[in-house]
Amino acid sequence: MNSGIIGFWLRIASLFLLRSRRTTVVLSLMVLLSVSILIFLSSLAVGINDAMVRNSVSLYSGHVAGFNLAADLTPERLRIDGVDAVVKRIENRGLLQHDDRFEPVTLIASNPADEIANTALWRKISAGKYPQNGKAEILLSEYLSERLGLGIGEQLQFRRDPVSSPVTFRITGVYRTGIDKLDRGLAFCPPAILPDDNARWSAAIFLRDGIEVENIVRRYRERFSTAAQFKSWHELMPDLRQLIDLNYVSMSIVTFIVFGLVAVGVSSAFVIFILKNLREYGIVKSMGVTPFEIGLLIALEVGLMNVIACIGGVALGIIASQVMSSIGIDLTAFTSHNRYFAVSGVVIPRLTPYSLWVPPAVALGFGLVASIWPTMLVVRGRTADILRGI
Amino acid sequence: MIRVQEIGKAYRSGRRQVEALDEVSCTVQQGETLAVVGKSGSGKTTLLNCIGGLERPDSGRIACLGENIHELSRRALSMFQREHLGFVFQFGNLLSYLTVHENIEFPLALNRVPRRERDLRVSALLERIGLGNSARALPGELSGGEVQRISFARAIAHRPQILLADEPTASLDSQTAHDLVQLMLDVVRDQAASLIVTTHDPVVIELTDSIMHLRDGKVVEESRTTVL
Ligand SMILES: Nc1ncnc2c1ncn2[C@@H]1O[C@H](COP(=O)(O)OP(=O)(O)OP(=O)(O)O)[C@@H](O)[C@H]1O
Ligand SMILES: [Mg+2]
Repeated sequence: MNSGIIGFWLRIASLFLLRSRRTTVVLSLMVLLSVSILIFLSSLAVGINDAMVRNSVSLYSGHVAGFNLAADLTPERLRIDGVDAVVKRIENRGLLQHDDRFEPVTLIASNPADEIANTALWRKISAGKYPQNGKAEILLSEYLSERLGLGIGEQLQFRRDPVSSPVTFRITGVYRTGIDKLDRGLAFCPPAILPDDNARWSAAIFLRDGIEVENIVRRYRERFSTAAQFKSWHELMPDLRQLIDLNYVSMSIVTFIVFGLVAVGVSSAFVIFILKNLREYGIVKSMGVTPFEIGLLIALEVGLMNVIACIGGVALGIIASQVMSSIGIDLTAFTSHNRYFAVSGVVIPRLTPYSLWVPPAVALGFGLVASIWPTMLVVRGRTADILRGI
Repeated sequence: MIRVQEIGKAYRSGRRQVEALDEVSCTVQQGETLAVVGKSGSGKTTLLNCIGGLERPDSGRIACLGENIHELSRRALSMFQREHLGFVFQFGNLLSYLTVHENIEFPLALNRVPRRERDLRVSALLERIGLGNSARALPGELSGGEVQRISFARAIAHRPQILLADEPTASLDSQTAHDLVQLMLDVVRDQAASLIVTTHDPVVIELTDSIMHLRDGKVVEESRTTVL
């Protein structure tokens, strides 16, 4: 087998496709549309995954959460390559008191400007506003404000334990996220209001787009002492991690099913096409074309058509997902009760190697499978019978 | 040379058994022509198919150019066919998606004749059959007679030693038929090929070296045309 003979069959196959224009166009269109639709759908699936991660991560915790960080470890040192922002938080466990009511609370002391720039909690403020830096102001969950029977502008005390001296705060806002963990005993105040604020701190670390979170965590663990702990959102939200894997699995299954069906369609169309011109294949056999060469010819016909259709489909799929990602798809109507979409229901489709290569690769693979049946039909038939039209 | 020795072929369709060929023998030397005649269903096509390796006889031997073609492997048979055999069927010989030029070129490309030589040979053949202007036409755009002439050009393009034609003139008027047969005979003489042609056509019978009559798969008469 040399390249000359492949070239010959490639030429015959392309002439066949070219001169059977209508059938070729209809079949290619079918493949082209499925490829482009699947590319778009998988970019949408990636976009939905992104949105869930973005929502979950940006609301409060960051991509990586650092705990038990020493006071001399500055946020700047955590800002390694790939890190977009680090929000420093000091967690103060204690009690909120108003009159004779007490509520256990974790009071987070952090810079309001940092929080507003990097997290979306402020968007969940249902009344009032975020505390101002340098002032003894506090943001409470709705739950806490109801339990204490307090509203905006009223005052309360925080103390670390029943016997320590209290610090007085004025309530500037209340919030509600819809996520239990955040909506219970959490409150926010500016830093340096509480005494002995130089304790160990926690970090919410935000990464730039497309940065692999596990890499960052690994580098932190290598670089900083064992006392400091770092956890990626994968560890903090294993349920979300699974949901995303599930999304990929279901997308792959859909891809396989669609191309299985497309392959059956293409295969049947080619079989009909070949049956219609079966005599010509009998003639070709009578001229001494081997079964292998007939298989090669049919595979080239199906393959060439698929390659061209896939190129068109990839182009169309890229255009469709680029256009939609520049606009953004607002799925708020479907996500408003979903905690993974707590901040925004806007999905931005994103192309990944996965979404770009899987559809055409599966289409081409199935295309070759699709050429088996028509080939068997021609090769198994006895030439004399084919020519007699039996 | 083609040597057929006592070949038999039976078809079973349901309970009915048809003896399509029964102890048929014949020999055609290089440069010779044989016409096979007989009523419809007498086994003419079956005989040609067996000689061309398109069908396997139940018994007997067929030697083409000294090769026992039914003892060849599948691949060797294909190689033999593409190199030494030229077929012309009664109809539907051409590939509808190839132009006249590409159709005639097909066996040449299969035999790896270089491109330039292919083009020269195809053009010469087209001139010879009087269709020099139709090189780029598709078969669907041509008349039945033109298609038959092109089929013939394709069958001889790779200069095979054995030509098999199954009622090649059935759809042609007598003048065109005469021209085509004359062309076949020229090729047979020039290339010292062997031609077997099945036919009902007196024009064809007149021009061949010998005739074989088949009836119900049996040879009933064999003669030199010159003797008739
Ligand atoms: N594949 C087959 N199955 C069953 N019977 C067949 C088959 N092929 C041929 N026959 C039978 O064999 C006999 C010879 O057929 P063949 O085609 O050789 O005749 P023929 O002389 O070429 O006839 P015609 O002049 O009509 O072309 C016929 O009776 C035909 O019905
Ligand atoms: Mg016949």
